[in-house]
Amino acid sequence: RLEFVPAEKEALFYQVNQAILGNHGIDVQFAGIKFLESLVSEFSPSTSSAMGLPREFHEQCRRSLELDNLKTFYRWTQEAASRVTNRIIESDSAVPEPGSDWRDVLISSSHAGWLLSLYAALRLKFSCEGYWLDCPIAVSARKLIVQFCSLTGTVFLSDDGKMHEQHLLQLLSGIIEWVDPPDVVSKAIENGKSDSEMLDGCRALLAIANVTTPYAFDSLLKSMRPIGTLTFLSMLMSEVIKVLMTSNTEEETWSWEARDVLLDTWTAILTPINTINVNALLPSEGIKAAANLFGFIVECELRLASATAFNDEGDSDYLHASVSAMDERLSCYALIARASIDVTIPLLVRVFSERVARLNQGRGIIDLTETLEELYSLLLIIGHVIADEGEGEIPLVPNTIQTQFVVNAVEADKHPVILLSSSIIKFAEQCLSPEMRASVFSARLMESIIWFLARWSRTYLMSSDGIGEKIIDSGHHHEHSSKKALLCFFGEHNQGKLVLDIIVRISLITLASYPGEKDLQGLTCYQLLHSLVQQKHICVHLVTLNSWHELATAFSSEKTLLLLDTAHQRSLAQTLVRSASGIRNSEVSSQYVRNLMGPITTYIVEISSKNNFKSISQQPDILLSVSCMLERLRGAASASEPRTQKAIYELGFSVMSPILVLLEVYKHESAVIYLLLKFVVDWVDGQITYLEAQETAAVVNFCMRLLQLYSSHNIGKVNFFFSLKFRLLLFQISLSLSSSLLSEAKTDKYRDLRALLQLLSSLCSKDMIDFSSDSIEAQGTNISQVVYFGLHMITPLISMDLLKYPKLCHDYFSLLSHILEVYPETFAQLNSDAFAHILGTLDFGLHHQDADVVSKCLRALQALASYHYKETGSGNIGLGAHTVSLKDSSGSVQEGLLSRFLRSLLKLLLFEDYSSDLISVAADALLPLILCEQSLYQRLGNELIERQANPTLRSRLANALHALTSANQLSSSLDRINYQRFRKNLNSFLVEVRGFLRTM
Amino acid sequence: MSDEEHHFESKADAGASKTFPQQAGTIRKNGYIVIKNRPCKVVEVSTSKTGKHGHAKCHFVGIDIFTGKKLEDIVPSSHNCDVPHVNRIDYQLIDISEDGFVSLLTDSGGTKDDLRLPTDENLLSQIKDGFADGKDLVVSVMSSMGEEQICALKDIGPK
Repeated sequence: RLEFVPAEKEALFYQVNQAILGNHGIDVQFAGIKFLESLVSEFSPSTSSAMGLPREFHEQCRRSLELDNLKTFYRWTQEAASRVTNRIIESDSAVPEPGSDWRDVLISSSHAGWLLSLYAALRLKFSCEGYWLDCPIAVSARKLIVQFCSLTGTVFLSDDGKMHEQHLLQLLSGIIEWVDPPDVVSKAIENGKSDSEMLDGCRALLAIANVTTPYAFDSLLKSMRPIGTLTFLSMLMSEVIKVLMTSNTEEETWSWEARDVLLDTWTAILTPINTINVNALLPSEGIKAAANLFGFIVECELRLASATAFNDEGDSDYLHASVSAMDERLSCYALIARASIDVTIPLLVRVFSERVARLNQGRGIIDLTETLEELYSLLLIIGHVIADEGEGEIPLVPNTIQTQFVVNAVEADKHPVILLSSSIIKFAEQCLSPEMRASVFSARLMESIIWFLARWSRTYLMSSDGIGEKIIDSGHHHEHSSKKALLCFFGEHNQGKLVLDIIVRISLITLASYPGEKDLQGLTCYQLLHSLVQQKHICVHLVTLNSWHELATAFSSEKTLLLLDTAHQRSLAQTLVRSASGIRNSEVSSQYVRNLMGPITTYIVEISSKNNFKSISQQPDILLSVSCMLERLRGAASASEPRTQKAIYELGFSVMSPILVLLEVYKHESAVIYLLLKFVVDWVDGQITYLEAQETAAVVNFCMRLLQLYSSHNIGKVNFFFSLKFRLLLFQISLSLSSSLLSEAKTDKYRDLRALLQLLSSLCSKDMIDFSSDSIEAQGTNISQVVYFGLHMITPLISMDLLKYPKLCHDYFSLLSHILEVYPETFAQLNSDAFAHILGTLDFGLHHQDADVVSKCLRALQALASYHYKETGSGNIGLGAHTVSLKDSSGSVQEGLLSRFLRSLLKLLLFEDYSSDLISVAADALLPLILCEQSLYQRLGNELIERQANPTLRSRLANALHALTSANQLSSSLDRINYQRFRKNLNSFLVEVRGFLRTM
Repeated sequence: MSDEEHHFESKADAGASKTFPQQAGTIRKNGYIVIKNRPCKVVEVSTSKTGKHGHAKCHFVGIDIFTGKKLEDIVPSSHNCDVPHVNRIDYQLIDISEDGFVSLLTDSGGTKDDLRLPTDENLLSQIKDGFADGKDLVVSVMSSMGEEQICALKDIGPK
């Protein structure tokens, strides 16, 4: 280790070396290698080890090891390898990214060649004994060869890659034997040969692809075979897929793994296709190879689809799971397809129309299930090939589609991508006919259609990038003409509006005519419709469509859509309200929202004012429709935008009293209560910043009453649950209140409380962001009072148990630190119970493992202490009685809050574990605490010093403590500069003393 | 509960519907459902399809709210299921008679004397012991599809 002087180190290593070279017999030799292995593995990873030593120490060791010894070890091991070959890799596998100083051993020594010939020789020798491929020496030799493939960078001479190429050629000449010819190799594996060598071959190809350009990759094989590497890769992969399709099992076979590795290889080669021209990226032979491979992939996927068409589906999330699990694979297929887009798109057009023709011929005559499943797969593949996912952004037309087609603008409708898109849309449109629906459009097929339309429309439908004009300006006519033709064709002045109308009508069909098909409807709501209204220029057209108004009417006044899943209804309400942004006139858009949501508020108002509401409220039908309406209100509330804000305010205003009635009536229906709270949260959140003083007063009042009512229902309940734990026998519980129910009840509480905290936070934000014309104080509304009152009611409900829910904990402490920072004065006015409770939670938060929570608590502390310090400085009482130590009834001393936190913060800083990011926040809290409680701080400091037995450390500690409060001209004011100085001081203080304080 | 009692109690429900139809796809966990003519609380819902291109079906697992028995059902998700109307009313416990009936105080000040003690041993002994200790007890009575049963107990007396 580091402590050894170099001579000792050398001596030790000499011993080891002797051992390895076998001078002391085989056992010692083995032990020597083991020693090296453990040394290398202990120090090569840059993480700290289980030994618990600081990371930096390790870092030092690792560096010195790498500099001085690793290379030597490597030599020794290599020498030793000639005698004990089977341990060769054990230290090699730890080779970190080697630089130029490794060149002599790794490259120039032709170690790779030696290893390859060793492996080849052994392989030949043991060729009749199948087990050999899996024995340790073979496995580790191959592993090392794969590692050699991935060598790159300065380890090679900078000679235009010649040395690297030579190196790879040498390796490939050995590796190729493992995988070539593909059909013979795969047959041998199917007949029982070990698959490990073949898989390592695939991995080596991946490693080479990762460190070469596609051109260089392709040319490697040409010196030993008549074909390029890409063509070989295509053949190899076809073979693997063939095996995969014929075996067709759920188990992970070798062909699974080989396919994944080879797909990764293609991805490594083809990823640049998204930015550069295909012809510049690939040799023409490679493009052809990709085209052949994709053709074969499509053939196999279709065969697989029809073979599994009759399988039962057990899992309800199947579509979702299958799309996202297949997504990676399909994206890679898409890359392969895009490498030869002018061959593959026409292929897809042909295959798709063949299947559609088959449907039309066979409809009503034969069972079409297989064809349906083929179309399902095909739509997923096509969707991936012609459009990107975009991940929340508007995706561009894929690069190769933009650049590979030469299209004459006059014949735009002959563009293969337009042909393909149009034929799919035309096919999808047929689902509007009831007969076609009954005979062809199964729910699953519709799922793929909706998925496709959602993905496709994000790229192509009424694309807003105004590319048409820009291209003409920039003069790149040819290059972009394909993109231009595409976007114009489906643009707003051409087919765009027609297609949009078709999409809306199909959506209405899936929502209304596929009862109970939750997944399909979820896709329609969340993927398709949602992404349409995200784009304003599409909304402009949406709101002019009759079909969109039909959808809105169906939503607001027909029964069918009440059968949708309640969460889907929320999303639909949000979508429909959001589309109002496409209406230019703000009065008209408000009217649209009123028409849409009017029947829903009317329902809530009417039902809550019924005389017998209380007695019918529990009926399942009433319960269901109330839940639906609340979800819809929430959806509308969350879609609030400046233009529709007034209408949505009115909407919420009209249901204020009914909401309170519902809160009372459904106090035992936690699910309804939650919906109700969430609606209020979203509504207040969307509205608060826009409200005028009078409206604010009304909203704040309403929230107050809501909070009061809620806490009056729930205080008892929470207490009841607590007592349950401790006094199980006294508070008799029934069978139905079993432990699972208890935890369910707790989860309900958790969700409710979190909603309430969010409500308070939104209310708080009014003091920060306010777009109204007059000040809210004009109406005598004091937000801090309201929030405090709310906190007063909620804190008793927040237990330490509930704070174990991370999200709740997070929300609670954000709110707390915000309130304490902004309104410390009101805090002083809280009653002692609430005060004590909040302090208790602060204490809890201070020792939380989440650094974010701790820093929020520290901010809160800083706010409290600095408020007190400033107030008392100017002669006020500040936090007053809360800071004084008291004797409670049992005679024990209750420390004042500031002393208590000074003590616990110091303890935390000196003796406990925390993230170093927290030190500056902690400094900001510590400074005002010290200033408030000077004498206690002195006392604590002295105690620390006295406890230190070692005189050196003792004086170090004393000096450090002194420096903490005096260095850098620290003064006793609480301004920015002083805080900064103290941060520095605390940092150096902790560096100085924490090490020995913690370990002594 | 025996069958005869259904007769008596159904009178109390006269006019009110015992169950409501609701689309199977909209029934959620923790809701109620009628399975084999018994009111159940839904503890598990899963959906599946008859073959990939068939219709969706819902698979329900319910617990009989009175007997605690587990029941299962499979329904196409577009079809309607019966959902029972389940009501809970709290009454103060006045008396336990020797033949196992209880006497409860209604909101209107009258008494309700047609309920037996629950069969669940745990709850039963809690009620009996609490009553013997002279505590003020409130019982929750759950009723559905013409059946009633004491399902929970609260002590409202001073600690």
